[in-house]
Amino acid sequence: MNDLQQMRDKAASVFEQLGFPTTREELWRFTDVSALANQEFSNDWSPASVDFLPLGEFYLVFENGKLSPEKSNIGGLPEGIKVGSIMDRADDRFGTLADTQSAFVAANTACFSEGAFIEVADGIELDSPIHLIYLADADGAAFHLRNLISVGVGSTFSVVEEYIGTPGTAYWTNAVTEVFAADNATVDHYKIQRESKTAFHFQTLEAQLGKNAVFSNHAIALGAALGRNDIRGKLMGEGGEAICNGLYLLNEKQHFDTHLFMDHAVANCNSHELYKGILDEKSKAVFCGRILVRQDAQQTDAVQSNRNLLLSRGAKVHSLPQLEIYADDVKCTHGATIGELDEVALYYLQTRGIDPARGKAMLTYAFANEVLNEMKSTPVRTYLENLVHEWLEKVSG
Amino acid sequence: MALLDIKNLHASVAGNDILKGINLTINPGEVHAIMGPNGSGKSTLSNVLAGNEIYEKTEGEILFDGKNLDDLVAHERARAGLFLAFQYPIEIPGISNMYFLKAAVNAGREYRGEEQLDAMDFIDLIEEKKNVMNLRDDLLERAVNSGFSGGEKKRNEIFQMAMLEPKLGILDETDSGLDIDALRIVSDGVNALRSPERSFLLITHYQRLLDYIVPDFVHVMVHGKIVKTGGKELALELENEGYASWVGEEGP
Ligand SMILES: Nc1ncnc2c1ncn2[C@@H]1O[C@H](COP(=O)(O)OP(=O)(O)OP(=O)(O)O)[C@@H](O)[C@H]1O
Ligand SMILES: [Mg+2]
Repeated sequence: MNDLQQMRDKAASVFEQLGFPTTREELWRFTDVSALANQEFSNDWSPASVDFLPLGEFYLVFENGKLSPEKSNIGGLPEGIKVGSIMDRADDRFGTLADTQSAFVAANTACFSEGAFIEVADGIELDSPIHLIYLADADGAAFHLRNLISVGVGSTFSVVEEYIGTPGTAYWTNAVTEVFAADNATVDHYKIQRESKTAFHFQTLEAQLGKNAVFSNHAIALGAALGRNDIRGKLMGEGGEAICNGLYLLNEKQHFDTHLFMDHAVANCNSHELYKGILDEKSKAVFCGRILVRQDAQQTDAVQSNRNLLLSRGAKVHSLPQLEIYADDVKCTHGATIGELDEVALYYLQTRGIDPARGKAMLTYAFANEVLNEMKSTPVRTYLENLVHEWLEKVSG
Repeated sequence: MALLDIKNLHASVAGNDILKGINLTINPGEVHAIMGPNGSGKSTLSNVLAGNEIYEKTEGEILFDGKNLDDLVAHERARAGLFLAFQYPIEIPGISNMYFLKAAVNAGREYRGEEQLDAMDFIDLIEEKKNVMNLRDDLLERAVNSGFSGGEKKRNEIFQMAMLEPKLGILDETDSGLDIDALRIVSDGVNALRSPERSFLLITHYQRLLDYIVPDFVHVMVHGKIVKTGGKELALELENEGYASWVGEEGP
């Protein structure tokens, strides 16, 4: 682990140099992290009493940043699949994807003390998703979680990262996940963020796709006072396909950022991005979708769509698409909308006897459902359908 | 008691007076037809009755089944038994027809103090009604009117009416855009719903519909007023002579 120590030292000095970003930086213009930067975090550990529901046969549970073997279940994993703590494993590729110029990644690399390591050999198929569950309820704590997921040639694998916090507790989750999808691999990654609404949540997800690999990421965000997902896909082999979908449901004064970066490095790859947001009260969202099509990436097909539904006048969205195209034979489209509920549709429902509150909930759910429908895993989709319904009941009640 | 009693109804939209003193009484079991030139206010009347709030009632009184419609908003009017089949049905992506219908049917049942239909009862009801309307199964699974053809949308409106069994069905140009077979299916569907208690208001441009659904009264609406009322033979007269004699008389 000498290399690791070197990496940590280097990351620590990068963080030292960068410090927390300020609103003077372009990508942080709308996102003020001073509340986080001004806070001291402790390292005291305590067990977490947070309920969770495993979405598959195999799951790892982290309690306030620490792996809990008692609460986890990885017994009887099929041959060729290794699941465990990142502290017990080494992989040459560790840290090779994570953005070294990000203060949050640097802080994570310097400080992480736990996370999941998953290695799937070539030619393996696992139907049930591996569920990584991060429970948090320790006031004043910081959790630097680090995950590495490697899926072998031709394997099919799905994983859920779920962050759950006890309402009212204030802490900082700072996670980094690196995913390597080898040639012909199919990887479905789900991220469910339901942190406490007084917590900070930051995650950087980096995925690298080999030839004909298919990677999907479905990011659902409900929690955190201040949250941000940085999702970066690197299409490094021809025939690769990346799907990045997301749904953010915000109310009160929540602030949530999504920064997508899709890097088309080679020819004949597709990427689809569908992000939807529903914002109530004084919540705020930033969506920044950057698509880079490098010179060699001919025949790229990239589609990006960000659609937002505002349920109140106080809610706000900044949607910033960014296409950078250096190849000449490509198809790239993007679109962003910010709108309110369709009054005409609401009237139509009303003329059939459906009262406006119910009608609003139905239309809002229908808006969200487009993202949920894209999820292949039935248990994950069903679970999220329920969460979305619950959320809607709360905001309309 | 009349099912619908409209007295001296004036209504405006976006600051323009559209309805200028409508009087119309529909008794239980009666079928009335309204014909009239484009822009005369027929759809405005149906939307005012259904409770569309962008239309402002400026004068007059509407009693429906003994209730003053001023006291009921759109969903309450629907639950009380008023149904409007739209001239241009709205598409609602993301909500399946089945889910939508179940919510609508159960909203009405709740209002009438009836038990909610469970999934099984609901399927039975669907099966019964969809055969009458000859509606394909995939249309039921699809989102409400989303990507439906013009004729499919119209049939879906009447299917909804059959499911909801209203006291008054207002059909705003349901026949427009229907092929010959569909016109017959829709008419049969409406006729099957006719009863001594249930009334219909048919808005149409074509006498043909009235061959299938025979009205008790035909009204001519011009410039926001009913200018003539007669029996079903009036429709034939209009078909031959047009509206010229009325349209000329009074400026908009
Ligand atoms: N929402 C609206 N905003 C502005 N004007 C409207 C609106 N709805 C109706 N109008 C106007 O009111 C008048 C009557 O329209 P309406 O749709 O009631 O006519 P109609 O008799 O149903 O015509 P058609 O036979 O073409 O369906 C028209 O001049 C129309 O432009
Ligand atoms: Mg009309």
